[in-house]
Amino acid sequence: MSTDQHAVPDEAELAAMSREEKATAGLAVDHVDLDEYGPVAVPGSPMDKRNERRVAAWFLLAGLLGLLFAVAFIWWPHEYVPAYQDGQLAYALYTPIIGATMGGAILCFGIGVVQLARKIFAHEVAIQQRHIGMSAAFDRQTLAAQVLDTVDKSGLKRRGVLKGALALAGGALGLVAAIPILGALIKNPWEERADSPLWVTPWAPLADGTKVRLTQLDGTPVRPEDLEAGSMSTVFPGVPGGAKASDAAVMLFRVRSDSVVRIRDGQQGFQYGDYYAFSKICTHVGCPVSLYEQQTGRVLCPCHQSQFNLYEGMFPVFGPATRPLPQLPIELDDEGYFVAAKDFVEAVGPGFWENGKFPAWYSEPKEATG
Amino acid sequence: MLALLFGLVTMALVFDAATKPTNVAEAANVDAAQIADGQRLFENSCITCHGANLQGVLDRGPSLVGVGQAAAYFQLSTGRMPAPENGAQMPRKLPVFTPDQIDDLAAYIQANGGGPEIPTTGLRDDSQVAMGGELFRLNCASCHNFTGQGGALSQGKYAPALNEATDEQIWGAMLSGPENMPKFGDGQLTAQEKAAIVSYIQNNKATIDPGGLPLGGFGPAPEGLIAFLVGMGAIVAATLWMGSRT
Repeated sequence: MSTDQHAVPDEAELAAMSREEKATAGLAVDHVDLDEYGPVAVPGSPMDKRNERRVAAWFLLAGLLGLLFAVAFIWWPHEYVPAYQDGQLAYALYTPIIGATMGGAILCFGIGVVQLARKIFAHEVAIQQRHIGMSAAFDRQTLAAQVLDTVDKSGLKRRGVLKGALALAGGALGLVAAIPILGALIKNPWEERADSPLWVTPWAPLADGTKVRLTQLDGTPVRPEDLEAGSMSTVFPGVPGGAKASDAAVMLFRVRSDSVVRIRDGQQGFQYGDYYAFSKICTHVGCPVSLYEQQTGRVLCPCHQSQFNLYEGMFPVFGPATRPLPQLPIELDDEGYFVAAKDFVEAVGPGFWENGKFPAWYSEPKEATG
Repeated sequence: MLALLFGLVTMALVFDAATKPTNVAEAANVDAAQIADGQRLFENSCITCHGANLQGVLDRGPSLVGVGQAAAYFQLSTGRMPAPENGAQMPRKLPVFTPDQIDDLAAYIQANGGGPEIPTTGLRDDSQVAMGGELFRLNCASCHNFTGQGGALSQGKYAPALNEATDEQIWGAMLSGPENMPKFGDGQLTAQEKAAIVSYIQNNKATIDPGGLPLGGFGPAPEGLIAFLVGMGAIVAATLWMGSRT
């Protein structure tokens, strides 16, 4: 769209031109001059032949690897073979083989294309004249006029229904993008008030007053004699869905009888003899803490290296966690199984909007058992 | 009436006598010579830290009363005992004692205070690998990593990799809770569940990694690092190469 165009040949001149001349004329219209243009090597020379062989070799290799991929994909043993059985190695090689052949084929084809451009296609050095700064005022004004004229001629300004429909479509599309975020705000977590799952964990006694048993993953209730001194067991509330509840996992510890454990204010009697139950959910960002060092009494969180000390009332002693792990009050039921005496007395896990409601969270453990 | 009473007492005595040989027979399983050999080895190699009566020595070594054959076998067969020095943790090394000597020492420990013993049969249950995997991830993976590669604990301590652990050693560790590892008694993990866990660990080790190089089995951190260094490195190298050729 330049104002000073080269002279364009008329139809008769065009008919008389060779293909090469037409190509040059096309470049000239765009102000491109070919400074150097010609084959990379003298046609038929040893270099020319060598270039051709090299490029062909890459494409042959790509084709061969592609065929190997197809063969391996169909006939290589791909069905799972467990450990200790013949054929495990062959099965384990399935994925690497199809990956290597397919990747190799793509890589070789790519190298072949690059080599084709560098070694076979004509060598050229082209020079194009460019104007400096903005386009000419004539170019700019005519282009702007064209765009605005298109809008005017369409009559969009007077078609109110169409404009409204367009706005509605755009708004609805925006809503589609925003609804996954806004949708989560529709449900009111406070609807159940005091029984809201934000306040209550599955450890809370049932409606009829039945206390919830501490059970293993498979639902087996836990008795004191199941745990040796110096052991830790992950237990879950013995209610339907208890093992899947995100706020319910609890570590049940049995310390040695000569261990001294300090107890936090208002939590006296939460333990049963040498047995202590603490939430497994880290108070930092809610990872499962369970790297228990039975000699030092430390419980480590694998995510950010927070450490809690069981002997210090599960207070954080290292890392980013700032609150102790909540203690679950436990006792025995009539049949000698562990039950939760009541729900946790503080929120489980990390940040909670009622944080600070319980002053005991910030008090140091004082009393000691022993 | 007196005759009836007399008869009952006699019967009780006879019953008592009849049941006694069973206990005697159990006791006879203990090989006195083996225990004596074990005591000799103990007095040469272990007595400095664990005391003349297995009671332990303050700041040197803990009491061995009640730790059982499981603890003795685990510590001796993994070479952790005898320890060259006190440290954050005893590293695994080549065992100092021969298998026979380890059995002698374990028999001596077992004879003085009892304790958990590693069973001789049923160490593995390859039909329960999936259950073993679930139990491993719940009870063991937090410290030993889900691929059994171990990991760091506090202040220089660490959970060791399970690469070299034998079936017996894994049983011994679960039963005795060596160093900072919690104990897993048979009430917490039944013998069947322990066998399933051992099967899972050993199957895991015998499984060839279908993804190629496991990069230590440590999970996303080394994998991401390699992907970043190798991938970004390749892109930067390709960019430099293209720039140098135009």
